Amino acid sequence: MSSSSTETLLVDVVMPQMGVSVSEGTVVEWRKQPGDWVDADEIICAISTDKIDTDVESPASGRVAEILVEVGTTVDVGTVMARIATDARPGEAHASETVPAPATPPPAAPREAPAPASPDGRRYSPVVQRIAAEHGVDLGRVPGTGRGGRVRKQDVLAFIEQGAPPAAAPEEPPLHIESPYRPEPAAPQAPAGTLSRMRRQIGEHMKRSLETAATCTTWIEADMLAVERARAQLGITALPIVARCAIDALREFPALNAWLDGDAYTVHESVHLGIAVSLGEDGLIVPVVHDAQDFSAEGLAKRIRDLARRARAKDLRPDDVAGGTFTITNPGQYGSIMATPVINQPQVAILDLEAVVKRAVVVDDAIAIRPMTILGLSWDHRALDGALAAQYLAALRRRIEGWP
Amino acid sequence: MATQTSGPALEEGATGGLTLDDRVALLKYMLLMRGIEQRAMTLYRQGKVPGSFYDGFGQEAVSVGAAFAMAPEDRLCILHRDLGAHLIRGVTPARIFGQYMGRAGGVTGGRDGNVHFGDWRVGCVGMVSMLPDMMLVATGMAMAFKLQGRAHAEGRGGSGRCAITWFGDGSTSRGDFHEAMNWAGVQKLPIVFVLENNQYAYSTPLHAQFAVDPVERAAAYGFPGLTVDGNDAEAMFAATWEARERAVAGGGPTLIEAVTMRMHGHAAHDDMKYVPKSQLEEWRAKDPIERQEARLRELGVDVEAVHEEVKREIEAGVQEALQMPMPDPATATDGLFAEHANELQDGQAPYSGWRSRP
Amino acid sequence: MSVMTYLQAISDGLRQEMRADERVFLMGEDIGVFGGAFKVTDGFIEEFGSGRVMDTPLAESGIIGTAVGASVVGMRPVCEMQFADFISCGFDQLVNVAGKTRYRMGLAVPITVRLPSGGGFSGGPFHSQNPEAWFMHAPGLKVVAPSTAEDAKGLLIGAIRDPNPVLYFEHKHLYRRIKGEVADGTFTTPFTARVAREGEDLCVMAYGAMVHTALEATEDLDGASVRVLDLRSLVPLDEAAILDSVQRCSKVVIVDEANATCAAGAQVAALIAEKGFEDLDGPVVRVATPDVPIPFSPPLEQAVLPSVDRVREACRELLEY
Repeated sequence: MSSSSTETLLVDVVMPQMGVSVSEGTVVEWRKQPGDWVDADEIICAISTDKIDTDVESPASGRVAEILVEVGTTVDVGTVMARIATDARPGEAHASETVPAPATPPPAAPREAPAPASPDGRRYSPVVQRIAAEHGVDLGRVPGTGRGGRVRKQDVLAFIEQGAPPAAAPEEPPLHIESPYRPEPAAPQAPAGTLSRMRRQIGEHMKRSLETAATCTTWIEADMLAVERARAQLGITALPIVARCAIDALREFPALNAWLDGDAYTVHESVHLGIAVSLGEDGLIVPVVHDAQDFSAEGLAKRIRDLARRARAKDLRPDDVAGGTFTITNPGQYGSIMATPVINQPQVAILDLEAVVKRAVVVDDAIAIRPMTILGLSWDHRALDGALAAQYLAALRRRIEGWP
Repeated sequence: MATQTSGPALEEGATGGLTLDDRVALLKYMLLMRGIEQRAMTLYRQGKVPGSFYDGFGQEAVSVGAAFAMAPEDRLCILHRDLGAHLIRGVTPARIFGQYMGRAGGVTGGRDGNVHFGDWRVGCVGMVSMLPDMMLVATGMAMAFKLQGRAHAEGRGGSGRCAITWFGDGSTSRGDFHEAMNWAGVQKLPIVFVLENNQYAYSTPLHAQFAVDPVERAAAYGFPGLTVDGNDAEAMFAATWEARERAVAGGGPTLIEAVTMRMHGHAAHDDMKYVPKSQLEEWRAKDPIERQEARLRELGVDVEAVHEEVKREIEAGVQEALQMPMPDPATATDGLFAEHANELQDGQAPYSGWRSRP
Repeated sequence: MSVMTYLQAISDGLRQEMRADERVFLMGEDIGVFGGAFKVTDGFIEEFGSGRVMDTPLAESGIIGTAVGASVVGMRPVCEMQFADFISCGFDQLVNVAGKTRYRMGLAVPITVRLPSGGGFSGGPFHSQNPEAWFMHAPGLKVVAPSTAEDAKGLLIGAIRDPNPVLYFEHKHLYRRIKGEVADGTFTTPFTARVAREGEDLCVMAYGAMVHTALEATEDLDGASVRVLDLRSLVPLDEAAILDSVQRCSKVVIVDEANATCAAGAQVAALIAEKGFEDLDGPVVRVATPDVPIPFSPPLEQAVLPSVDRVREACRELLEY
């Protein structure tokens, strides 16, 4: 690469595909501004999708030539978000760059953000900026009682308490770039009466699934005695053992380990097992154990634990939520015994594991007390019929009752 | 105060209860020490030992002879040219090699290097580089034995406990030497001070270190000081044994000046140009290992077999240590503070005299 | 419960713990027959004998070094420096031997060092220092500094029972000036901070005698609601309590009786800058002694030590900011 080249070599930074079903993403923050040097694999921006929040690394080394998607804007997967001039060199501006050389200060903030100081030249402390950002307060309208009319914490709090109307409420809270603070993209303190971003997106997904698939649910009852014994011995929960049985049953009935996208029906050889993890009030995420067929129950237990922990710590990588071929949901810890789960598109079935309850059952023509559970399978009638679902559940029950 | 400032080395008559096996053991520990240090020097040149490397070539009799006189329940503060004392207490060659190489399986798990270690499980506190700080630590141990009422034996050679510490000629110039000697003298503590006079403190010769031989100072602190041939393991044993006996019987401390010679540089990087060749020649003829070998050969011992045994032990130790992993960087900040207290445990004491105790 | 002075609480803590644990013994200069320069151990020799209330030679390095040796063979020595200033003579044994032994070799060193510190009585450059920060910078040592009679006893017993070297800074100015209710028997106070007074407009952070200076300075400050946080422990530093106070009050004044550069308060200020930035509504303000030795003559000494007026003025300025 020659610095005397007259043509600018531009590499696109695109909105990545952060999971099979993800179609769009929102830019949360630009870590680099036009004119900044960025190394390949250095973080250039942060994005938020309905599956995951993540950083995006630059695909090449070079100078940021232009930023095409502003902070707060949601664009489709594949949209070019920025371009990197790869014929630039660190520390020197190149003639072909279309942005001001680094000697000229780069634009201080995304266009939508307010200037660092208001027109009257006031500066604000970190806590004042944070409160203003959280409540959408235009600080220019807050009377200051501090030294030289400085707006103090109590001033902005009083302003909010007086019920001042929020400044022309932007969708995302404004960013104040004098402060390193950036509000969480999925605003944890959503205004009363509206749904959080994640909730909305889960809702849209569920609705779309029900509108798309011909969802039916089939149940079967299984004796969990063997599983209960084994799990006590191994020091794990029932979930990984049931998951192991479900995987084996899928290998027997691969038609359920599949995607149906429009008319395209794909049966997968490997089982990439999604496990629904509750994030409490924040919602739900489905991280995936890839190649789950390769792991023992103990191995699955370890991986499920790890994924759940990272999901709750918001520490999942994009790959962790991508590529699932079958999903298990396990809300039984609260004692519920049956449910009709919604299929995780474009998969064709989802297994529901509910509470294990001791019941009087007939075993060898005698009444016995056994830990029983009801396994529910929601399946897509477009892809398969009820008989196959029932056969799958029977195979699953056989494996569960005959564990190991 | 009786101060024996010089005099002939204690020769054959001075075995003080050593059996033939004990005398072979003295040779074996000296060979182990020299062999380990030579092997470690090779590893150092191969780049497997980080940092600097210090050895005690030529001084083996000082640590081996003195440590051999200590009981399992005694406690030790050992100096960096005294590897033999660690071996006698039961630290294995593999853990010592691991220590040199900064491995997780070394005595300090990579927290400290070379001979800066002490295994609390065998009754030792590792030295610090500020010399002679450990004289005070050992004095404190002796003070505790006295407070605990465990110092004074019923009769001699019995169950009392004693502390011992080694320090060099350079150390005698620092204040802690004075504070420890004075303290131990005032409180008549059960402690043996071994002054390892190896002629040089780094490059500084004795005449630039003190005007009067420090063994003379013992009298000023109110306890005996004697000079011993530090290249004779059996003489070192005998003198230390006597000092320990007096200490546990309530007779107070003893200063033993072990006269020896540092035959290598201060550390691996030191070519010792400041040492006259004639001085090295003179001391080479007094090699402590050759001396013990000559004695044992006369008594019909198969010295070569001892060499072979030691060689095997060292090689096995090297191989084991090379398999030890390096410490996990994620643990670098662990263990600064203790969650629970622990205390020094009894160590190995191979001297036959301890086995015949009631 | 009994009402005791700060000094009586220290004595009581030592006495109760010596009764409770026969491994505990005291070492120091003039602490036995004479009862100590400040009479903390007055009468102890009668109860515990000269073995457990040991008059040592005048040798600070010796006191610390032998305490280390005794501690690793099962004893729990409590050393007294006659004045905290003299710890410089025992510095090497503390920093290199006591502080590093656990990390290097896994061997705990349970010693306590009592350090009568602080100025305000014309003690001059060698009897007035507050050398806490020297030891905050030395890994492996814990550092505590009580401001009340109750904490004086509880922190001391906590220090003796801690399996690590603990430096216990007792402020001479408080010995007979501070009184309070103290529980009987033995109890320990955790090495955490304490809210000395609740408040929300501003927080003054301090330890030792400066807690009382802070309380007095802000008791009636034009109606402002001022929180006072008594740090109590400098190593470990109670980060959670400090940041919680920053979050609540958004304005912070830190008071050190020690001289300013790299003092305990400097570490607190750095912590707030690093982890409490988002909650600040003004600069972190420090009030400390300037970087000079503590002078002898009263007008000079009063000119350098943080006074109630200086703290009050600093708080006022920051409140108005």
